[in-house]
Amino acid sequence: MRILLAEDDSLLGDGLRAGLRQLGFLVDWVRDGEAAERELRAQPYEAAVLDLGLPRRDGLEVLAAVRRSGIKTPVLVLTARDAVPDRIRGLDVGADDYVVKPVDLHELAARLRALVRRAHGQPQECLRAQDVELDPASRTVRKAGEAVALSTREFDLLQAFMLGADRVLSREQLEQQLYSWGQEVESNAIEVHIHNLRRKLGPALIHTVRGVGYMLQRDQPRP
Amino acid sequence: MMALIRPPRSLQGRLLLLVLSGVALVWLVTSALTWRDVRHELDELLDGHLAQAAALLVARQAQEMEQEDGHGLDAPTLHHYAPKVAFQVFHEGRLALRSANAPVAPMVGADRDFRSGFKTVQLQGRAWRVFAAHGAERDVQVYVGEQVGSRNDILWAVLRSTLWPMVVALPLLVAAVWWAVRQGMQPIRQLGRLLAERRPQALHPVTLAPLPSEMAPMIGALNQLFERIGQLLEAERRFTADAAHELRTPIAAIRMQAQVALGASDDALRNHALQGTLEGCDRATRLVEQLLSLSRLEAADSPAMDDVDLRALARRVVAELAPRAIGKQQSLEFEGNENGPCVMPGNETLLAVLVRNLVDNAVRYSPPAARIRVTVQRRDGQVMLSVEDSGPGLTEAEQRRLGERFFRVAGSGESGSGLGWSIVRRIAAVHRLAVDVRTSAALGGLEVRVVHDE
Repeated sequence: MRILLAEDDSLLGDGLRAGLRQLGFLVDWVRDGEAAERELRAQPYEAAVLDLGLPRRDGLEVLAAVRRSGIKTPVLVLTARDAVPDRIRGLDVGADDYVVKPVDLHELAARLRALVRRAHGQPQECLRAQDVELDPASRTVRKAGEAVALSTREFDLLQAFMLGADRVLSREQLEQQLYSWGQEVESNAIEVHIHNLRRKLGPALIHTVRGVGYMLQRDQPRP
Repeated sequence: MMALIRPPRSLQGRLLLLVLSGVALVWLVTSALTWRDVRHELDELLDGHLAQAAALLVARQAQEMEQEDGHGLDAPTLHHYAPKVAFQVFHEGRLALRSANAPVAPMVGADRDFRSGFKTVQLQGRAWRVFAAHGAERDVQVYVGEQVGSRNDILWAVLRSTLWPMVVALPLLVAAVWWAVRQGMQPIRQLGRLLAERRPQALHPVTLAPLPSEMAPMIGALNQLFERIGQLLEAERRFTADAAHELRTPIAAIRMQAQVALGASDDALRNHALQGTLEGCDRATRLVEQLLSLSRLEAADSPAMDDVDLRALARRVVAELAPRAIGKQQSLEFEGNENGPCVMPGNETLLAVLVRNLVDNAVRYSPPAARIRVTVQRRDGQVMLSVEDSGPGLTEAEQRRLGERFFRVAGSGESGSGLGWSIVRRIAAVHRLAVDVRTSAALGGLEVRVVHDE
């Protein structure tokens, strides 16, 4: 799951990036408001962690601006300001969650997962498609109740497919979900991963739409 | 007598005492003057009567001597007031006529030479006012006397009529003055009540309607005091809130780094996170120290001042911070024209904190390989400290916002709290130093000038 982290404090930003990576997030880190806004407009992040006291452009301004332009990326506001009016203002401007520093790493991750789930209209913690079940928290996948071992990339790709179930996703879209900044994208990598997923989970799950992309079908195809 | 009475502690008692003392004094002086005037007029009138009576007696005696020779006659007492007056007529040394109550010997006998005029003598234990007169041939001597006591009776009668109304009026006057003073003191009592009823936290201004002009300065000063206390409390509240918020970020960083270390799968990651944890602790410590020194500065209004050589002090600070600059491959240089020390009055410890903050900021916020120059010079009676760097500098808007508590310059990548500037401003204010932020003409980055005007 690729998220944007906007935090100007180097130490806290470094910790957040490392911690969220440990928990399986792909983290892009920006340190000021202008960069945060630019990235939010440019990339389809699954979610964003936004500090309010950002240099160059205040976090709330950034949030208001991207919401005005119709960008629906779930945003979790992370701030030192805990007064109720501050929270209300943050939520009113378009924050999806409001967390006061210091925050527990696991709680932050859980809140981010919940935001992403809700954004995709899936209230349950586990994602399901056909007989495959994916648990984002424990990063495990089961097929018909049996655990299936997936690599990190395969897991991330499956999660991206499940979050965007029944929609055709282009190769570029999938790559954006799979790689954060500075990571080399191997040619044919997506095809290789999809091939592996089909091998491990069965051929009926992911369909190829020639010349367009791929689609995960949520329900069992009717015989 | 007044000295024996302890002055009353209540304002009302004081006013009452002063007003009544004044009234009594005026009254006594008036009485004394009246007494003197009445006595004078009375003496003149009665003395005139005595002289006239004596003249009549002299004339009568001269007439009588021509007609007959009757000696030692007592004149009849004609009026009940008569015992209080007496007369004697002597002819050639012999008593010719006298009133019934007059003695046989001349009323003024002691002085042989005394022939005419007024004299007060003692007769039968009483004071008498006597007028002596003589005939043209000096063979007739007449004495007319009047008891002084009777004069005093008249005087008292006159004074009594003026004193009595006053004695009666005195208690009424006391009551009236007491009531008036009490009414007059009403606003003061009202203010006392207002203040007593206030909650201790209440800092809204006191209003008194109608406000007596004498109390306007007092109320004004009181309200100013309330306002100042309110501002201080507000600043204190804001500072505490800001400080608490500011501490949250390093604490959040420490927590995050510690959790990363706990969950780290390899040693390199764990070590990095543990280093981060330590760094976070150092930062929190620095922040706490800055907060403490700022609050100490705000508590101490006037620290002990001494003569401080700013050049020597700045050179010391530069030496102290040089290792940090070298570590960042920056060139930190000190410049001071060497014509004697640059002495200014100040608190050495505080000035060192000021210089250290400025130089530390320059080192901290200038990129590696930057140039930083510290200059101390004396010119036109001014001592000037300048800290300039070749860093990115600040926009004008940012220069203006420097010194706002917790204002941090964007994109510096350094983790400061913005408190250093508050401290610099505060120390400068205590020393009446002018702080000027500009773009360095020589190095292109930020220049901060601290100027002491003599």
